[in-house]
Amino acid sequence: MRSITYHNKTIRLIDHVYEPAEDSFLMVDALQAHMSKGDRILEVGCGSGIVSMFAVDHASLVIATDLNPYAVKCTRLNGITALVSDLFFGIRSTFDLIVFNPPYLPTSEGDYLGGWDDLMLDGGPDGRRVIKRFLAGIGEHLAPGGCILLLISSLTGIKEVCDMMRYEGLYVEQVAESKCFFEQLIVLKGQLQR
Amino acid sequence: MEILCCPMCKGDLVLTVDEEDDKEIIKGSLFCGKCNEYYPIEEGIPNMLPPDLRV
Repeated sequence: MRSITYHNKTIRLIDHVYEPAEDSFLMVDALQAHMSKGDRILEVGCGSGIVSMFAVDHASLVIATDLNPYAVKCTRLNGITALVSDLFFGIRSTFDLIVFNPPYLPTSEGDYLGGWDDLMLDGGPDGRRVIKRFLAGIGEHLAPGGCILLLISSLTGIKEVCDMMRYEGLYVEQVAESKCFFEQLIVLKGQLQR
Repeated sequence: MEILCCPMCKGDLVLTVDEEDDKEIIKGSLFCGKCNEYYPIEEGIPNMLPPDLRV
């Protein structure tokens, strides 16, 4: 079985699952800086489960979801409780921290490859299609004072996403960034007012 | 189990266990009476997708 190592952890990988990359590592680092001991953490779109693997170090509960059944299988192989779900639909609980590394790239018809590989990257025409659905539902799943960590790219439209987060009542800060070849990756933290 | 609900109506689900070990439910289903819909549990993994999103 293939695997990669990041910090002190070995992440097992299977086919049809997003292979951890720059964005995954940036999210792990942001998570480590912004989670608190005892947090209840939900990871949406968990892929290999790499982010949740670091969340379990301090959380009291970690649940991971993905639409892709291969991703859920991979995440469970990595020791995390995971289920197949569209974002958080089917989960009835609130969390202190919700983490999402969404498909954030704008896509057009010619970009589609077919199958699960599209799902990992397809952000819709403006790159914000999945983010929009996610933000519309977080109110129900965040505990009072709870936070989200959302990873986006400069290609997703930083100002637009910040505005969407504020519209949902979140206080927004940029908490991590990393420059890639043709884009900048950013982690936004959105905190619900108590 | 207590954190799961129907992804469509958010209502309660009724669990049926077909196979389990000492750790978890391996095979079974979750049923929403209001939507008259089953959500399968296979290889220990609940599939909470509405029917139109399943493969």
